[in-house]
Amino acid sequence: MIDSTTNSRFTNKQLIIIYTIISLVCLLIVWELVARFTSASMFLPPASEVLTAFFRSFAEPIGQHTMLFHVGISLYRVAVAFLFATVIGIALGVGMGYSRLFEAIFKPLFEFIRPIPPLAWIPLSILWFGLSDTGKFFIIFLGCFCFITVNTYDGAKNVDPELMGAARMLGANERQVFFKIVLPSSVPYIFAGLQIAVTAGWSAVVGAEMIQSNEGVGWVIIRGMSTGNTVQIMVGIVAIGIVGFILANLTSALERRLCAWNAQKGI
Amino acid sequence: MERSEGNIKKKNPVLECRNVGRSFDSYDGKGKNEVLRGMNFEVYENEFLVLFGAGQCGKTTLLNILAGLDMPTEGEVYANGEKVSGPAPERGFVYQKTSLFPWMTVEDNVGFGPKVRHLPEKECKERIRKYLDLVGLTGFEKSYPSQLSGGMRQRVGIARAYANEPDIMFMDEPFGHLDAQTRYMMEEELQRIWQQEKRTVIFVTNNIEEALFLADRIILLTNCPTHIKQEYSITMQRPRDYVDPEFLRLRQLITDNMDLTL
Amino acid sequence: MKKHKYTVISVCSFLIVLIIWQLVTDVFHLVSPIMLPSPTTILKTFWYKLTGGTVPDGSSLIQNILSSLKIALGGYVVGVVIGVPLGIGMAWSRRFELFAKPLFDIIRPVPALAWIPLMILWLGIGYASKVGIIFFAAFISATVNSYTGIRQTSQVHLWVGKTFGATNRQLLFKVALPTALPMIFTGLRLALGSAWVALVAAEMLAATSGLGYMIQISRLLGRPDVIIVGMITIGFVGLLLNTVLEQLQKRFVRRGKKHD
Repeated sequence: MIDSTTNSRFTNKQLIIIYTIISLVCLLIVWELVARFTSASMFLPPASEVLTAFFRSFAEPIGQHTMLFHVGISLYRVAVAFLFATVIGIALGVGMGYSRLFEAIFKPLFEFIRPIPPLAWIPLSILWFGLSDTGKFFIIFLGCFCFITVNTYDGAKNVDPELMGAARMLGANERQVFFKIVLPSSVPYIFAGLQIAVTAGWSAVVGAEMIQSNEGVGWVIIRGMSTGNTVQIMVGIVAIGIVGFILANLTSALERRLCAWNAQKGI
Repeated sequence: MERSEGNIKKKNPVLECRNVGRSFDSYDGKGKNEVLRGMNFEVYENEFLVLFGAGQCGKTTLLNILAGLDMPTEGEVYANGEKVSGPAPERGFVYQKTSLFPWMTVEDNVGFGPKVRHLPEKECKERIRKYLDLVGLTGFEKSYPSQLSGGMRQRVGIARAYANEPDIMFMDEPFGHLDAQTRYMMEEELQRIWQQEKRTVIFVTNNIEEALFLADRIILLTNCPTHIKQEYSITMQRPRDYVDPEFLRLRQLITDNMDLTL
Repeated sequence: MKKHKYTVISVCSFLIVLIIWQLVTDVFHLVSPIMLPSPTTILKTFWYKLTGGTVPDGSSLIQNILSSLKIALGGYVVGVVIGVPLGIGMAWSRRFELFAKPLFDIIRPVPALAWIPLMILWLGIGYASKVGIIFFAAFISATVNSYTGIRQTSQVHLWVGKTFGATNRQLLFKVALPTALPMIFTGLRLALGSAWVALVAAEMLAATSGLGYMIQISRLLGRPDVIIVGMITIGFVGLLLNTVLEQLQKRFVRRGKKHD
């Protein structure tokens, strides 16, 4: 049942925290026991070992650098590509949503590129850019760009025509309608796009670094694989998960700040 | 009192509707759907004209054409002697759904018109202050539309249209979404506002009480395609009383004349 | 008429890009064919691979597609079969949610690709490890959307059900599930999309056949034409899978409204 009538001694929030702790502790205990006392210990390192290794990784380097550096370089790659994707994606999306001509010119090309997964570009990007950072920027850019464009396009297409009519009626010219009506009313859509894009970008950097890199979180886990070091892989996954979580929540917090006027809110 | 032609002061009309008709392509793309036919009337300065008709007749279509948001397929509309060819700030519009810009505060909504027309900053501020005061919303400058009640939103809509100081105001069932109590209150408010700041108003409604309460003149429209059935000029003293015998008599008269087939 | 005009512009824009591409490659040789082969070369390669050519990766295009599909659908089915009931369960039972959601929330922010090294280490580079990776990709979308779908059930509908004496089971099957169905279907579509993307990555890292392997090996062999043929095929198959599910959704979810 979707009711929230389980326990009157605790508030809903307290209950969630209590259960979260219980279930996490259970997970760690089961993991620890399985890894120490069953035959799974062959390939599953105990939880305690992974956690100590995780904390140690901030002080002791993995490969040449500490974990903070690996996370930092991956984030830097995402940030650069994300910035480009945001600017180009919003421009293309709003343009296609607002102008029929612009849409007619660019939409077929965009629709041709869109279904190709960003990681499928890796072989070409290596041919074009070698193993440099440019290639990684390119892959991550493609990973973010499509989501931002599609969402912005949706937003600009769904502007209430009555709002545009109202603005024209009040004396706004086409340029003003575009900047004061079409653009701001697409903002919630753009944010939805940015949120998906940042997650996709993080996923793309992991993929790109796994295939061609000498540092970064993706490299950490793939290096763990090639040296048979399960602990290192798991430490990498923990770091990737934490950063992914922060990124996803950062954008929704930002959206709540910037779109206070937008009462209706999704999940 | 009922038959109009002789009655109205023969000044120069501010708006003329000349034989206006409007058809849309029907959904299958083959035929035509005629919505308006042969509309002929004038609107005079500072007159409160109500376009009254039942149901989904072409009232909104007609209003959009008069305002320049839509083009007639036949005939022309003239504002101050010039042909209407598009929206213009000399004509203000108040919408049923209010259509406030949700990402702007109340004052930014009201100031939108003056600002996009690049009036001096001081003038913009002055108008925002003046017209928010006129509609009784001083103190709500920084609120967003989503934080206001339906009646308050509609007040902002009226203030926004007024802030451009248009010659003619078009109101498309502005109180249609409000509950009955708020509606009565807003009708009285509108009357007060209109008497305080005289404008030519063309008001669309399907509510006979609202029409009789507000109008100098009522044009009764009928359906399919919409055309003018009758004109009434209303000379009752303002503010009017909903249960005044004259009010009730006119109400009966006009309702009897309505075409209720859809 | 106007609609026609824009279609013409669209076609022209596409053609112009192709013509410029052809001009800079085969006609004026401004770009080396190692970097970017011409459209005509790509077409020829495409035809060759489609009609059974096995150079350079050892399988024809159809064989690669089938091999990829087999893995993708395998992982997808497992992910959906586990993910959908899990999402429904978490949304319907408060107690189950309190316990299971924290665990799910730990896995959720980890991109499916990050599981690749672990899977390969544990399960080798065969069928099982790739199914495992794709499982994670499909599982998360399927769960999230089923959960949100059930959560959208209107409280009023549940009250109406209760007033008429419906049991908890009836409420779930007659009220909540029908509400959630469009969302669940959207989840199935998203899951298939993520599965397909994850598959490409998995095949690029560890495979001996499949589309991902084909483009990866073609890079090592310096065959950009095969890479591009592979990319286009990957995109096209992904699109096709999505369309199939969209049609299914249209057939099964009849209540006109679109949920995206």
